[in-house]
Amino acid sequence: MEITLTINGVKKTFVCNPGDSLLRVLRREGYFSVKYGSDDGTTGAAAILLNGKLVNAELMLAAQANGQPIETIEGMAKGIRLHPIQDAFVRTGAIQCGYCTPAMILAAKALIAQNPNPTAEDAREALSGVLCRCTGYIKPIQAILEAAAVMRGEPPTEIDVNVVQPLTFMPGDDGGQSVEPPEFPSGSGGTQTRQHILPKFIYAPQAPQTRVVGKPETKVDSIKLVKGNPAFVDDVEFRGMLHAKLLTSPHAHARIVKIDDSEARNMQGVHAVIHCFNVPRVKYASGGQSYPNPKPYDQVSFDNKVRYVGDRVAAVAAETLEIAEEAIRRIKVEYEILPAVFDAEAAMKPGAPIIHDEDDTEGIFDAQRNISHHIHAQVGNVEKGLAEADHVFEHTYHVHQVQQVPIEPHIAISWWDADERLVIRTSTQVPFHARRMVAPLLGLPVKRIRVIKPRIGGGFGVKQEMLIEDIVGHLTIATGRPVRLELNREEEFVSSRTRHPQTLTFRTGVNKDGQLVAIDMKVIGNTGAYATHGLTVQTVTGLRGLSTYKSPNMRFECFVVYTNIPVPGAYRGYGGPQALFALESHMEEVAHALGMDVIEFKQLNYIREGDPLHIAPMLGEGEAENVTSVPIIMSSGLDECVAQGMDAIDWERRYQEGWRIDPARPHIRHGIGMAICMHGTAIPGLDMGGASIKINDDGSFNLLVGATDLGTGSDTVLAQIAAETLGVPTEDIIVYSSDTDMTPFDTGAYASSTTYISGMAVKKAAEGVREQIKHRASRIFGLDSTEGIYLKDRYAWSPDGRSVSLEKIALHSLHQEDQHQIMDTASYVSMASPPPFAAQFAEVEVDTETGQVTVKKLVMAVDAGVVINPITASGQIEGGMTQALGYGHCEEMIYDDKGRMLNAELGPYKIYAAHEMPELETILVQTYEPTGPFGAKAIAEIPKDGVAPALASAIFNATGVRVRDIPFTPEKVWKALHS
Amino acid sequence: MYPAKFDYYRANSVEEAVKLLAENSDAKLLAGGHSLIPAMKLRLTQPALLIDIGKIDSLKNIKANGSLEIGALATHARVAASADVKKWFPALANAASLIGDQQVRNFGTIGGNIAHADPASDPPTVLIAAGATIHVRGASGTRAIAAEDFFVDLFTTALEPGEVVTKIEIPNLSGRKSAYAKMSHPASRYAIVGVCAVLSMEGDTCKEARLVVGGAVAHATRLSEAEAVLKGKKLDAAALKAAADAAIAQVGDDAMGDITAPADYRRAMVGQYLQRAIQSALG
Ligand SMILES: Cc1cc2nc3c(=O)[nH]c(=O)nc-3n(C[C@H](O)[C@H](O)[C@H](O)COP(=O)(O)OP(=O)(O)OC[C@H]3O[C@@H](n4cnc5c(N)ncnc54)[C@H](O)[C@@H]3O)c2cc1C
Ligand code: FES
Repeated sequence: MEITLTINGVKKTFVCNPGDSLLRVLRREGYFSVKYGSDDGTTGAAAILLNGKLVNAELMLAAQANGQPIETIEGMAKGIRLHPIQDAFVRTGAIQCGYCTPAMILAAKALIAQNPNPTAEDAREALSGVLCRCTGYIKPIQAILEAAAVMRGEPPTEIDVNVVQPLTFMPGDDGGQSVEPPEFPSGSGGTQTRQHILPKFIYAPQAPQTRVVGKPETKVDSIKLVKGNPAFVDDVEFRGMLHAKLLTSPHAHARIVKIDDSEARNMQGVHAVIHCFNVPRVKYASGGQSYPNPKPYDQVSFDNKVRYVGDRVAAVAAETLEIAEEAIRRIKVEYEILPAVFDAEAAMKPGAPIIHDEDDTEGIFDAQRNISHHIHAQVGNVEKGLAEADHVFEHTYHVHQVQQVPIEPHIAISWWDADERLVIRTSTQVPFHARRMVAPLLGLPVKRIRVIKPRIGGGFGVKQEMLIEDIVGHLTIATGRPVRLELNREEEFVSSRTRHPQTLTFRTGVNKDGQLVAIDMKVIGNTGAYATHGLTVQTVTGLRGLSTYKSPNMRFECFVVYTNIPVPGAYRGYGGPQALFALESHMEEVAHALGMDVIEFKQLNYIREGDPLHIAPMLGEGEAENVTSVPIIMSSGLDECVAQGMDAIDWERRYQEGWRIDPARPHIRHGIGMAICMHGTAIPGLDMGGASIKINDDGSFNLLVGATDLGTGSDTVLAQIAAETLGVPTEDIIVYSSDTDMTPFDTGAYASSTTYISGMAVKKAAEGVREQIKHRASRIFGLDSTEGIYLKDRYAWSPDGRSVSLEKIALHSLHQEDQHQIMDTASYVSMASPPPFAAQFAEVEVDTETGQVTVKKLVMAVDAGVVINPITASGQIEGGMTQALGYGHCEEMIYDDKGRMLNAELGPYKIYAAHEMPELETILVQTYEPTGPFGAKAIAEIPKDGVAPALASAIFNATGVRVRDIPFTPEKVWKALHS
Repeated sequence: MYPAKFDYYRANSVEEAVKLLAENSDAKLLAGGHSLIPAMKLRLTQPALLIDIGKIDSLKNIKANGSLEIGALATHARVAASADVKKWFPALANAASLIGDQQVRNFGTIGGNIAHADPASDPPTVLIAAGATIHVRGASGTRAIAAEDFFVDLFTTALEPGEVVTKIEIPNLSGRKSAYAKMSHPASRYAIVGVCAVLSMEGDTCKEARLVVGGAVAHATRLSEAEAVLKGKKLDAAALKAAADAAIAQVGDDAMGDITAPADYRRAMVGQYLQRAIQSALG
């Protein structure tokens, strides 16, 4: 049929099928800002304006829009001049990965058109149908208020940090310095709803004086994202591109006896059908980790056995997605159904079905008992310590399975280039690992593969895998054509990766005075059908569980167990959030049992500057572990974090009966809770980042990094580090990242490593370039040495005050004399993994009649070392806390007794939306970490750690009821209150 | 995800839609499509023809004139924002404003909502409490169905094949106090439990109470036991508690359960939300 749409004021006629959604038609016609996020309207990523109203383009037929005006963000900017809403999104840091940004901006546009004076409440409601997994919504809401003010003719708010004084003695503080908080523009009349854009900020006394580092620079990629430019994997078009579709298993455990693909193959438009009977069997482990990947290698591209509902059975490539979907329905598979087991403890019992009974998987600890790994580590003598302790306490906790839910699901497109090399454009966190790992599966040498990571729509660990790259590769090899595979939302839930569920038991010995003498930690981790990341996630659980508190005797005992649930893998925080929910809940229970104040008890025992981390060398990354010495804490602002957090949440209220019980609403209880957090920064001795920098004719620089920006802002932070070192503004650094042909190697975006590791590589490369620039400058100045020459404001300066521009230096070097490309490459690996610290606080309201927990406020005071960019750093904390809130409060993968997930869409599976966000407060407590670039440590994962235990603590404070398993759903809390 | 193949036709009038429905046994009406299209993508339904009534402007109006008339194609956003609805029956405006998110409210229609008869929908509960009438038109003419008789079972209404809902009529409720109280599904915001109370009061004595529950049972249902408990009573805490107990008893084994809210919890919540609806109606 033919339809006519007026898109951004231009009338166009298209041919489409009745079954085409408006989303498909708009994307096909090049309106790439309209994104796929779900099929049922629940992410809102496909929102557009139809007749000025926000609607979901994936939930309507293109035919329904026939004859009507449509707006997308492609129509908003006038050339390079951004619309005020776009400008506000850029300036306030409201964009992380940018995948939800077009929908948010249109929601803002519809709101402001209707109400030029929106309140924060109006902005929250306007965004409530657009899910964002990165930002925590705080900055987008501020962006809307800011944009509305500017559109009313008010001046823009200046964006800067809110400097506050430390409350405790800070490391390195000589007592004499005092940093006065600067005056803040309050936003002129009528803008009461505008708030300070950035968090509280405490200066580290030893932090270096910098001009670019530490400043709230806007993101280097924000313009393309805010304009909806075609930046993402799927925003390209290839002639002859085929669409792939997966056939996944309906059974939790079965052998594939036979596959009859003849009907599918014979369909018009179908070009390939691949499965275990026509794809070579090459063993691998899919986790995107350094060489050699931890064993066991228990996967193949297509196996003759399926081990969970959602496991791969076959894949099809066809002319259209519609044909591919139909072909999948026509593949006939004969299964021999096997008994299945979902519970980790049951899977270890004799007689349980054996999930990996194949004879070609090496390195399973005990395949007969479904145990993939057994991890054991001990410091001192735990049994002796427990026997000698005055008191021993034991509690068991359970943490559940959740999914990372990037709003952009996994997507990859592959094709043969002119040199007959396979190019894979993919949404990955680990382009270099993916290339190395996919090569043997495809039977190609690494040199014939190029992996490109363009802008991607969030990852959070789920894309630290070589997950679908092999499938598109196989299909391109089979057909010779470009092939595109995008997981739909349901497949993203069940057929990608998730967080490991665990049962954790802590047995702790304490002395009368509250000193810890022994901690015994036992964990059973459920690694699902495959052990990818199984060893290392559980190892991190042990490390996190046994690092925060000092004890002479500590032991970690862990079984990692195969079951028939969808596969857990890496998820921001790795095994940390699991460990810290149990640890922090347990420590609070111990304090209560001893009659001690929770914070006093924790402060008596937690680790401080100068303390060793004895357990760390025993809990490294498997075979690849390179660190043998005991690390020492070099920087910690934890005391200050606790003090700041207590102040911000008004901690003392928790002791007041009159506050906890509201006389006007007696069924409501209020509570405040807290948790201590400590994380790692990169995997020591293993994570490596590389960077190259070269000068251009005009004195600008190309920065080529292997590091992978998932939306976190790492491209920006790395550009700032280069800019600082080279004496130029950030805009002079052109960042290109994560392309295996073009950039140096990097292990990838995981383990909170990018700023610290890749940042140091950039700093080293920039220092090398700086030296070359100084040489050239000395020659121009006619000096025999570079001594005293420095770079500032795009110039090189001689000690006697003369200057020459970087442009002149570049031209001189590239064209004029003794020609030479000023450039350098450096890489960095660290033997240290300096922990960031944080104190997490939560305030809740519990409805005792319904069990509903409403989170009113979260405060996180974080010591992440010197902060390179307060906008991106606070964005990481706000977004991380929001994910963590989902983990503790409402998210949960739920199955029926056949192992079928019952809530694999975002209608039933709940992630936090804008309208229900609590107040979030971030306090950046800076310390100076001597091993990090400009004193930085990591920030990405620590906000995942403390929210669940702080909620447990707050619910206990409110109601006196302790819930030892997350999430705190209304029904669970209600049953706990009424049992 | 693609639906099975179908033909599409845009109807320009109710008459045309009725005629097409009569001629095509395998046809379905398409209003906002916010229930129908997801179901078609999942292949839960595979009509051969969709008759798009979404552009029939005469079905979009809301007018108050002796009674309140809401066209079947009024979107939830329109119902929520309508000054007439807010004045005439604020519980309905409130219920409409609590549906899904902005995008859903901007495109989903009240007619499509009630014709779909999802047990977790909000409008049916409120419309029964109001004593509304559903006007429909088929090949053999028009008929009026009391809202109470309209919802028959899960996803099942009293509509005959070939009938189109044209408008919803709400009687004059002046002098009544009303409110809708809802426990929303945390993600989709469909009703886990929704209770609507419409009360006739004489001082603080209740002359008559119309109490309806949705979400917890297969279709929105009057809580007649609880209504009887309250009749002629002062609405104090004890009366409310007694009404809640009666409602819980009436719901009994009919309470539905799912992964978010098992039946025992949902049943208990009927009692809670009944009390909340009454309290909020009383202000
Ligand atoms: C994410 C999401 C969240 C939602 N949350 C809620 C919620 O909280 N509460 C709630 O109540 N609803 C909710 N809904 C449903 C929403 O209200 C839909 O708008 C409504 O269910 C269907 O309206 P529609 O106009 O889209 O109907 P359609 O999907 O077009 O039609 C639905 C059915 O009704 C039939 N039909 C449509 N119009 C007529 C008519 N005039 N006469 C006869 N038959 C007709 C169709 O043939 C079809 O069988 C939600 C939907 C989504 C997608
Ligand atoms: S910025 Fe919103 S989903 Fe990434």
